[in-house]
Amino acid sequence: MLITLGGLGTILAVSLVCVFLLWVVVPLFLPSSLVPLSGASAGGGAPGQVVHAGADEYLRIGWVATADGSLTAYRLDTGEQLSRTALSHDGRPPSAMSFALRDGHVALAFGNLVQLGSIDFQTTFVEAAELPAELRELPVGEIATFGQGILERTAEGQFRLQQLRVELPEPAALKSDSEVALIDVSVSSKGTVFAALTRDGQLHLAQVTQRKNLLTGEVTNRLRSGSVQVELPAAGVPSYLKLAGLGDAVFLAWEDGLLQRFDTRNATRPELVEQVDLVETPEDKLTALAFLIGKTTLVSGDSAGRLRAWFRIKPDEAPTADGALLVAGHELPSMAGPVAFLGASSRSRMVAAASDAGQVRLFHVTSEHEVAERQAPDAAGAMHALTIAPKDDALLALAGDRLLLWSIDAPHPQTTWASILRPVWYEGYNAPEHVWQSSSGTDDFEEKYGLVPLVFGTLKATFYSMLFGAPLALLAAIYTSEFLHPRAKARVKPTIEIMASLPSVVLGFLAALFFAPLVENIVPQCLALFVTIPFAYLLGAHLWQLLPGPMAAYLGRFRILGMVVALPAGVGLAWLIGRPVERWLFAGDIKAWLDGQIGNGIGAWMFVLLPLSCLAVTWLITSFVTPGMRRYAGTWPRLQFALLDLGKLLAGCLLAAGLAYGLGATLDGLGWDPRGTYVGTYVQRNALVVGFIMGFAVIPIIYTISDDALSAVPESLRAGSLGAGATPWQTAIRVVIPTAMSGLFSAMMVGLGRAVGETMIVLMAAGNTPVLDWNIFNGFRTLSANIAVELPEAVIDSTHYRMLFLAALSLFVMTFFVNTIAEVVRLRFRKRAFQL
Amino acid sequence: MTTSNQELSTQPAAAPASSGPAAGRHASSVNARRDGRLEKIAAGEFVPAEIHDSLRSEQAVLEIEKFNLWYGAKQALFDIQMIIPRGKVTALIGPSGCGKSTLLRCVNRMNDLIDSVRVAGQMRLNGDSIFASGVDVIELRKRMGMVFQKPNPFPMSIFENVVYPLRIDGERNRNVLEEVCERSLRGAALWNEVKDRLQESGLSLSGGQQQRLCIARAIASDPEVLLLDEPCSALDPLATGKIEDLIQELRGEYSILIVTHNMQQASRVSDYTAFMYLGHLVEYGDTPELFTNPRLKETEDYLTGRFG
Repeated sequence: MLITLGGLGTILAVSLVCVFLLWVVVPLFLPSSLVPLSGASAGGGAPGQVVHAGADEYLRIGWVATADGSLTAYRLDTGEQLSRTALSHDGRPPSAMSFALRDGHVALAFGNLVQLGSIDFQTTFVEAAELPAELRELPVGEIATFGQGILERTAEGQFRLQQLRVELPEPAALKSDSEVALIDVSVSSKGTVFAALTRDGQLHLAQVTQRKNLLTGEVTNRLRSGSVQVELPAAGVPSYLKLAGLGDAVFLAWEDGLLQRFDTRNATRPELVEQVDLVETPEDKLTALAFLIGKTTLVSGDSAGRLRAWFRIKPDEAPTADGALLVAGHELPSMAGPVAFLGASSRSRMVAAASDAGQVRLFHVTSEHEVAERQAPDAAGAMHALTIAPKDDALLALAGDRLLLWSIDAPHPQTTWASILRPVWYEGYNAPEHVWQSSSGTDDFEEKYGLVPLVFGTLKATFYSMLFGAPLALLAAIYTSEFLHPRAKARVKPTIEIMASLPSVVLGFLAALFFAPLVENIVPQCLALFVTIPFAYLLGAHLWQLLPGPMAAYLGRFRILGMVVALPAGVGLAWLIGRPVERWLFAGDIKAWLDGQIGNGIGAWMFVLLPLSCLAVTWLITSFVTPGMRRYAGTWPRLQFALLDLGKLLAGCLLAAGLAYGLGATLDGLGWDPRGTYVGTYVQRNALVVGFIMGFAVIPIIYTISDDALSAVPESLRAGSLGAGATPWQTAIRVVIPTAMSGLFSAMMVGLGRAVGETMIVLMAAGNTPVLDWNIFNGFRTLSANIAVELPEAVIDSTHYRMLFLAALSLFVMTFFVNTIAEVVRLRFRKRAFQL
Repeated sequence: MTTSNQELSTQPAAAPASSGPAAGRHASSVNARRDGRLEKIAAGEFVPAEIHDSLRSEQAVLEIEKFNLWYGAKQALFDIQMIIPRGKVTALIGPSGCGKSTLLRCVNRMNDLIDSVRVAGQMRLNGDSIFASGVDVIELRKRMGMVFQKPNPFPMSIFENVVYPLRIDGERNRNVLEEVCERSLRGAALWNEVKDRLQESGLSLSGGQQQRLCIARAIASDPEVLLLDEPCSALDPLATGKIEDLIQELRGEYSILIVTHNMQQASRVSDYTAFMYLGHLVEYGDTPELFTNPRLKETEDYLTGRFG
């Protein structure tokens, strides 16, 4: 009864863990929505031709800048006009205007005068005494119009006044008499850049770099400016001028889809480097062009409703002068009609698009999927403007005289199954890739949540640690269960089991701070170990045979001493041949060789071909040579036969090495150099070190279960086999191991489960670089290490947080899967064991 | 292994198995004689065995000379001196713990596997020493076949089970293997039952069939002596009957040493019977004579079920 309860409780607990993981993960994939919040009529009637619109982060105030130079602020919930400012100089309206997505930077041009200012929202707290009596009793959370702003009673009882602030210093004249037709400004931490195109086709560029003297705190401004003559096509002045966020490129786009890209990294000498057609067919017109956050990716909308995102990549061979190429990295789902407006988010890679017909769709550009869609009410009239609120929580559109506000419910717009599991073309990458990168230094940074590198890292860690640990553990189990004296086994087994209780953090610590630096200096010797130690044991066994029969029988009990000696002998041999092998196969410097700088690919082929050729030669010898030897030399005296056997071993080794080298040389000669695939550039914390140390973590568990499985093989089978004249080795190979096979398999699976979930060792010793690279000398990042590293800094319920839970769920599924297979096989094994 | 052969040198040169000191005096006694030897044996005294003359005329396949065995400090076999005749079935009987199975397992040195066993004395298989140092145990075991109490087919096909002794010898010739398989299965009277399903698992057979499969495996390598360790103790009467018939058929072709706790079985299948008690060989003679006219009262008591 108690046991049943305990079992059910365990199942319940595990299920609850799974449910909890799912609970956190599922919102990532829930559909997003746009919900109408308000749709008040704008006070003062419909504005004219809208150039830009904005809203404050509390969604109280919206503002609209029109082509005639008026800047109007509205109270969003009532549509009441709060203020109206004329953006003018000497009574002239601006000839060009540009508004930055964030920070309120604005550039205005009046003829040849340029004015760089800012439009933002100012928050002040007003003393109750300064307020009229009816506002002093404003309930908490309520808002009211006060002067040109919105007053709100905060939870603390203060009066917060929010109003639009316009700061426009004196304009400065360009070195040109022509009127500025288009202007754009970018402000970065390095300084301010603006670009202006005058009607005569001169593209002017000015860069103000601020330098702060760290000792005196003195700030010096340095102005660099230049201009270039743009060859205006028949269409005349372009429709759009877009200045990249770092001021390193200017894009001019015409209505017919022509885009000219100027390299402005040197502000004094702008240079036309590339022309691109942004539309598909000559009939299509470019109807909208907007930068995404960071001002690197341009989203173009055309009259066919097509939406594409363009950014520069740096391919190996670009035909352009600056080596970059503007490509349409993303194609968004098309709009029903021509794209009239684009509004980019100021905090994510979302962009809203509206058609003339009032269709409003919200996209996430990188994942190329539609987040939500909404139709503006027909009654509202023609669309004028579209913008996403600063906190990505609302969409503001002007239709007719209506201020339409929709709340955006899209907490995780960038996650789709495709963006998580398939390669994604991130801005600045040359091609779609699997990337996991959850944080960076700048706000413009886009989080990249591709799970594949982490799953890959987990598999890589598992693969290399099993490659090392599984054979060792299995052979150890076979040895102790079949050959070792039971009394010795009674000591050995608990000792190995104690290894399992070694905290993995200690192993990881050892791996990272002791083994990794150690191995780094003796890579060839370490690689040689994999050959010399088995060789030392084989040689030892063959030398043993040279002993006279009675002596061998007498010394049989001391055989284990011989084994203890063979290990250091193998290590010593590796030490001896390490350098010569490095000179022979790795051009004398294995790290430079791994980089691909020197030498040829033969050594790299040897990594794979040597074990394979050893297997092939072993098969050859056991199938053909040994039976023949038995036939012709079976009656030879023991010593002679043993000498023949020794000769066979040495010849086999030489043959295997020669075969591997010959094949490697052939493959290398054909031009296949595997460097850069499973071997490549050496990184100090790499899969070899992790495989070795994590091998130690999985050895005890595989060993224990394997040994139990082998010991569970009925003694009667062993007796039957030995009674039939089989050697203990033949008994082990032919009877015991096949009988215990499912138990051994189950042991491997449990070991696999352990390796998949192992955290501390990989966290400390794997370098934690989430790269897709089989290279045994490169690092990786596993799901588990990733969770351990990033969960403490993930904001609760953020996409990052939920993605980490998805990683946990993947891990859960993987280990669950592996352990289930192990259990199913174990049950089958038990059924079979009952038959015996 | 702590198996010791050091006492070998102190043993006298082995005489061919012959009657004990008392053999001549009771050559044709109709009435069994009681001399309280069981009490003597229980008291730890050594009493020479009563060995019938009929054995003298037999040719020995296996000679056991002054064979002693200790499990740790406890002696389990005391100066066993007997021959196993060629081409005949010899049964070892005696109450539980009398050492009959131990003796059998010594013949192919299966007791080597037990850690604390120490032996003194000698056995010879067709004249070749079994316990001399430097004897290749593996080669030795290949010359014998052994069948255990519990059927122990390997978890592989019937075919592979039978040809296992050849496989471990490296025989790969399919024709040879098939021929041996058929011959052995016929020899074990199993061929007709399994000839159509040789590739099925040996574990799919019934208990009696499994045991006959084990016998087929044991005779596949043409052993010089076949050791059967209570081969029917785990079988039902029907299967037991078949195994007994089989033993009858194998008589003549193979020299068989069978341990059984079942006296009726011994009387049915064997040519010679050795009665053991507490590690001593008590009486050894041809089966009809031993069963109908034992020389020792103790043997008669055991055979008639008065003790044991």
